[in-house]
Amino acid sequence: MQIRDYVLRRMMVLPILIIGTSIIVFTLTRVGGSPIGIYLSHEMTPEEVAEIEERYGLDDPLPVQYLTWAGGMLTGDWGWSGVAAAPVRQVFPDKLGATMELSVAAAIVAVSLGIGLGTYGGARRDRLPDHFARVFSISGAAMPIFWFGILLLIVFGVGLGWAPIGRSDADLFASIAHPTGLYTVDSILAGNWRAFVDAIWHLVLPAIALGFGTTAIITRMMRSSLVETMSEEYVDAARAKGLPEKLVLRRHARRNALIPTVTVIGLSFGFLLQGTVVVEIIFRWPGLGRWMADAVLRGDQATIMAYVMFTSVLFLLVNLAVDVMYAYLDRRVVLGA
Amino acid sequence: MAVETASRVSVAPLAGGLRTRLGRFGEISREVLANPTTLVGVILIVAMIAMAAFAPLLIEPNTPDPYQMPRDWGALNEPPGTPGHILGTTQQGGDVLYGVIWGARISLRLSIIVVSVTVLIGLVVGSLAGFLGGKLDEFLMRLVDVFLSIPELIFALAIAAVLGPSFGNIILALAAVFWVKYARIIRGQVISIKQNEYVDAARVIGDSGLRIYMKDVLPNSITPVVVQATLDMGNVVLIGATLSFIGLAEAGLAEWGVLVSQGQAGISAGRWWASTFPGLMVFLWALAFNLVGDGLRDILDPRTEAKR
Amino acid sequence: MKRDMGRTRSLWVIGLALAMVTAACTGDTTDTTEASDTTSPTGTPDTTAPDPGSDTTAPPSEGGVSNPDTFVHAADDEPTSLDPAQVEAGEGGETVILQVYDRLVEFSPDGPDLVPGLAAEVPSTDDGGISEDGTVYTFTIREGVVDHEGNPVDATDVKYSWDRALTMDLPESNVGLLADTVASTEAPDASTFVVTLNQPNAAFLNSVVTQSVASIMSEEFVEANGGVEAGTPNEFIATNPVGTGPYVFEAWNRGENMLFTVNESYWGTPANLDLRIEIVPDPDVRVLGVRAGDFDTIETDPSFVGDVEGAEGVTVFQGEFLLEPIHIGFNLNYPVEELPAEDTVSADFFYDPLIRRAFNHAFDYDAFVDGALGGFGAPTPFYLPQGVLGFSEELPVYSQDLAMAEQLFTEAGVWDEGFTVSVIAEGGNLFEIAALVLKDSLEGLNPNFTVNVLALAEAQFDEAHASDPVPYALWVKNADPFADPHAFQSEYMDPNGNWGQVHGMANGYQDPETISSMIDEASVITDPTEREAIYHELSAMFYDDPMWIIAGNEIAVMAYRDWVQGFVMNPLWPRPSLKFALFDKG
Repeated sequence: MQIRDYVLRRMMVLPILIIGTSIIVFTLTRVGGSPIGIYLSHEMTPEEVAEIEERYGLDDPLPVQYLTWAGGMLTGDWGWSGVAAAPVRQVFPDKLGATMELSVAAAIVAVSLGIGLGTYGGARRDRLPDHFARVFSISGAAMPIFWFGILLLIVFGVGLGWAPIGRSDADLFASIAHPTGLYTVDSILAGNWRAFVDAIWHLVLPAIALGFGTTAIITRMMRSSLVETMSEEYVDAARAKGLPEKLVLRRHARRNALIPTVTVIGLSFGFLLQGTVVVEIIFRWPGLGRWMADAVLRGDQATIMAYVMFTSVLFLLVNLAVDVMYAYLDRRVVLGA
Repeated sequence: MAVETASRVSVAPLAGGLRTRLGRFGEISREVLANPTTLVGVILIVAMIAMAAFAPLLIEPNTPDPYQMPRDWGALNEPPGTPGHILGTTQQGGDVLYGVIWGARISLRLSIIVVSVTVLIGLVVGSLAGFLGGKLDEFLMRLVDVFLSIPELIFALAIAAVLGPSFGNIILALAAVFWVKYARIIRGQVISIKQNEYVDAARVIGDSGLRIYMKDVLPNSITPVVVQATLDMGNVVLIGATLSFIGLAEAGLAEWGVLVSQGQAGISAGRWWASTFPGLMVFLWALAFNLVGDGLRDILDPRTEAKR
Repeated sequence: MKRDMGRTRSLWVIGLALAMVTAACTGDTTDTTEASDTTSPTGTPDTTAPDPGSDTTAPPSEGGVSNPDTFVHAADDEPTSLDPAQVEAGEGGETVILQVYDRLVEFSPDGPDLVPGLAAEVPSTDDGGISEDGTVYTFTIREGVVDHEGNPVDATDVKYSWDRALTMDLPESNVGLLADTVASTEAPDASTFVVTLNQPNAAFLNSVVTQSVASIMSEEFVEANGGVEAGTPNEFIATNPVGTGPYVFEAWNRGENMLFTVNESYWGTPANLDLRIEIVPDPDVRVLGVRAGDFDTIETDPSFVGDVEGAEGVTVFQGEFLLEPIHIGFNLNYPVEELPAEDTVSADFFYDPLIRRAFNHAFDYDAFVDGALGGFGAPTPFYLPQGVLGFSEELPVYSQDLAMAEQLFTEAGVWDEGFTVSVIAEGGNLFEIAALVLKDSLEGLNPNFTVNVLALAEAQFDEAHASDPVPYALWVKNADPFADPHAFQSEYMDPNGNWGQVHGMANGYQDPETISSMIDEASVITDPTEREAIYHELSAMFYDDPMWIIAGNEIAVMAYRDWVQGFVMNPLWPRPSLKFALFDKG
C-alpha cells in the first residue's frame, strides 16, 4: 500500500514537471532563437518576411504562441520542421524507430557485457580481473562518445574495411515491409534472413559506440554490489548452512546485487538517449539524434522543441518506473525473502 | 558521458574547526597519492594543467588571437611527421599539436569558470532553500526537478543552440545545467544540520544563523561538493567538447571538440590524425578528473570504504 | 552462479561471433549487382546514404556496370519544395523541376543558345515572334503534348501555369521574375500564347522564360489537387510534381532518395534510363559512393576533389564556372547602435571608397581559391561572372596587394587607430572560410584591425540577411544565379536595385545616377556588342568604387563513372546543371 501511495504521489507531480519543462523549452526558443529564420530564404523583402510570419503564427503574442504550440503538442500538431521540410509529426515515427533500434541494441550490449564483466571481476575481488574491470569501468565513464565512435570508424571502418555507413543497404531495406519500424524485427517478420543480417551488420559499430559508457557504469555497479552483498551476513549464513557456493551466489547475492543495478540501468537510459545525438552524427544513422543535431545547427526551433519535450517526458517516465521498481525490490529484501 | 553524483550522505557533523580540517587535508592528500589509480589521475591533471599554463612557451601563439587555430592555406591535410607539424595539419591547414596544447588552455578556462559559477549558484540556491524552507524551498526544488527532467546534454544543446554558436554561450549553457546538483547537495546538508540536535544546542547557547552556517553547514558540505566539483571539472570539458563537436563553438577555435568535428570528414580518406589526437586529450582530461574524483569519494565518504 | 554467468557470457560471445561472421559474409560479396548497395523504389522509413559496401575502396568487378537500368546521381542537399510556384532559386527542388517539367524555351546543352521547349520555335524579331518594340512575345505551342497523367497540355495551360504562380505569389518563390516583367498573358487559341511585357527586355527569354517558375503544368491536374489559392502553398503539388518532361516522378523518400521513371510518351527524345537521385549531404560519403560505383555522378565539394582524382573508373570533370560568385557585402546602411558591441566602426565607415578598395586589396584571394576552392575557381570582375554576356578576361579584378592596402588605409586615416568590425556568415561551409580568410588577411596586415567572424546557424543568418537594414557591417554569401548580366547588375550594383537600396549604396558611390542610368540603358538595348560595351565601362567604374569583395567564383567540379555516356553540363541549368535524360550507361 505504501508503494501505491508512492506511485500516485509521483504521478501527480508528473504533469507539473512536464508543464514546467514545456515553459522552459518554449521560452528558450523564443528568447534567444529566431524561430522564423529557418523558413526564410535568401533575400526576402520585409513584406515577404511578414507573410511567412503569419503563415507560421509567429506574429501572435507570445502567450498565444505558447498555447498554440502546447495545444498542438497534445493534439498531434507538432509544427513544421524546416530541416525536414515536412510536418514534425510526419517525420518523427521513422526516425524514432531508427533511434529506438540503435538504443536497444546498445542497451543489450551494455547490459550483457556489463553484468558479465562486473560479475566476473566482482567474484575475483582484488585480483587481476577485478582491477581490469575497475579500470575499464572508470575509463568507460570518462570516454567521450564522439571520440570512441570515431576511433571505431577509423579502426574497423577504414583500417579493416568493415563498417558500413548508415542503417541499411537500401535495396534490402526496401524489399521488406516495415510494420514496426525496427529493421531487425521487420526482417524477422518478413522471414528475410539477408535483411536481418544486414540490419545487425549495420548496428554493430554504432551500438558498441553508444553502449560503451553504459557498459562501464553497469560493470562497476554490478561489481561493487556483488562485492558488498557477498559480505552480507545472510550470505554467510547461507554458506554456513552448507549451500554450495554457486547456489549462494545465484540465489541471494545475485538478486540483491540487481537492485542498484536496476537503478543504474534506468539512469543509463538518459545517457543512451544523449549519446544517440553524437553516435548518429558519426555513423550517419537516420534517427532522432541526427535530426536534432541538424535542427540545432540550422536553427529549426520546431524540431528542437519537439525533440526536447519528447526526450524529457520519456526521461521522466523512465525515472519514475525505475524508482518504483527500486522501491518494490527494496521492500521485498527488507521484508526478507 | 557518465555523470557521477556524489553520494547524498549525511555526514555527521565532524567536530572541530579549521585547523583540524587542514590536518585532515594533509591526511587526505597522502591517501590520494598512495592509491595507484588516483595517483595516475593526479599526474595527468598536473601534466595537462602545466600544458595549459605554459602554452605560449610550448608553442608559438597564433596572432592576434591565440585561441584561434593558425590557418596555413598552403599546408592542408599534412600527415603527422611533416616537418613543422609533428601531429599533422587539419583541413584548414591548422597545426594539430597547436590545437592539442591551446585546447588544454581553453578547457582549463572552461572548467574553472563553469565549476566556480555553478558551485556558487548552487550554494546560494541550496542555502536559501534549506534555511528558509516553506514555499520558497518547494518552488526552488520544483525548479531543480524540472531542470533535472531534461537530460543534461540535450538541455545544454538546446540552450547553446538558441543563444548562438560561441564559446561564451557554451559556458552559459553548461552553467545553466550543472548548478542543480550543488543546490541539492547544499540544501541536503542545511536541512540535515537544521534537524541535528547539536545545532539546537548551539542555538541555545546563542550562535547566530550565520555562525552556524559558517561553522557547520559549509565545512560539512565541503566533502560532497569537492568530490562533485572534481568530477565536474572533467565532465564539463567532456560535455563542452561534445557541444563543440556538434557544431556550437565559434569558427576556427583551437578547441578539441571543434578539431575532432573538423577532422571527421577526412576519415574515409584515411586522414585519422586531425580527429584522433584532440579526442584523446578530451578522454585523458575527463579520465584524470574522474580518477581523482572517484578516489576522493572513496576516501572521504566513510560508507563507501566498505565497498573497497 | 557460474552457470548463470557462463550463460550470460556465452550469449554475448555468440552475439559477437555472429556479428563477425555476418560481417565476413557480407564483406566477401564480389558480385557486382549485390556489392554495390543500391537503393530502389519505395521503402518508407528513412535510411541515410546508401552503403558503399563493406569494402569502401574496392571498385566493382571488371566489366560490370552498377544499376544498368537506372542512372544514379548523388545530390548534396534535399529539396524543400517541388512546386515551380514555390521553389526557391538555387535550391534542390530546381533540379527535379528541370527533369519533370518543361518550359517554353530551354537552354541548349552546348551553351547559352536557346532551343524550343514546349514552344515549337524560339521567338525572334525576324519572324515576328517578338514584336518590333520588343514588348510582345508570341509563342506557338506544340501539338499533342500530354502530361504524365495523360492530361493534354496546350496554350491555355501555359497561361494557367504562369497565372497560378503570380496568384499564389509565395514569398519564398522566384515569382518576382514574372511579376516584374510581365504585364499580361493571353491564350487566344489552343496553340498560341502571347505575353506582353511592361517594357522591352532583351533578357526576357533567357532569364525568365527558361526559369523554373515559368514551368508548365496542366490545369486539370492542378484543379484536381487543391487548385490555386493566393498566398497559400499547395502541399500536394509541392511533393508530387506532374509535368510534361522526360521524367515521371515516382517517389520521394525523405532523407534518402527520389525516384523517377522514363516518360514513354515524351514529345522529344525520350530518356534512356530511369533516374534515382540520392540525397547525400556528406561530401566524403559521395566520394566513397562514386568510387564504389554506387553513384554515377556526384557533385563534389572542392576540398574533396583530391580524394576522387585518379580513382579507378572515375572521371573528374571540370565544368564551367557556377553563376554564383561568393561575395562579401559592404553595408552602408547599418544602424550603428545595433551592431555587435565590440564593433568600433562609425555609421559612414564604408562610405569612403578608399576603405572599400583597401579591403579589396587586403583580401587573400589566392588563399581562398587555392585553399577553400581547391584551385577550382577564379576571381571575378564586378559584376560579370564568367559565362555571362559581358565577361572578359581583360576586365580589372582585384588581387592581394598589401602595400596598396596599407597605403589606402593610411590615406583614409584609419591605419593607426585601427577598427573592429564583425562579419556574419553561415557556419560550416565555404562562406565561413571566406570570412576567416578576410579575418586573417586584415588582422595579419595590421594588429589594430580586428575582424570578428560570427558563424551563425543557417536560420539566424537568413533572418539577419532578410532584414532591412541588415544589422551587421559585413556579410558573406554567394550570389543568386542569373543567366543575364542585367540581373546581376540590377540586383547587386544598381543603387536603385535590391541590394543597392538595402545597403544604401547611393551613400558611397561617387556617381550613383550615372551608374543607375547606364544599367537601365543596357537592359533595353538588344545588340549584344553594344550592351557589352556598357557593361565593360561599368565594370571599370565599379573597380574604383567597389561595393563588394568578390572572394571568388567557383568552378563546378563533378565526378562521374567512366561508363556514363554523353556527359554534358550547362551551368545555365539549375545545379547540378545536368539533364539526366541525355545520359546513358555502358
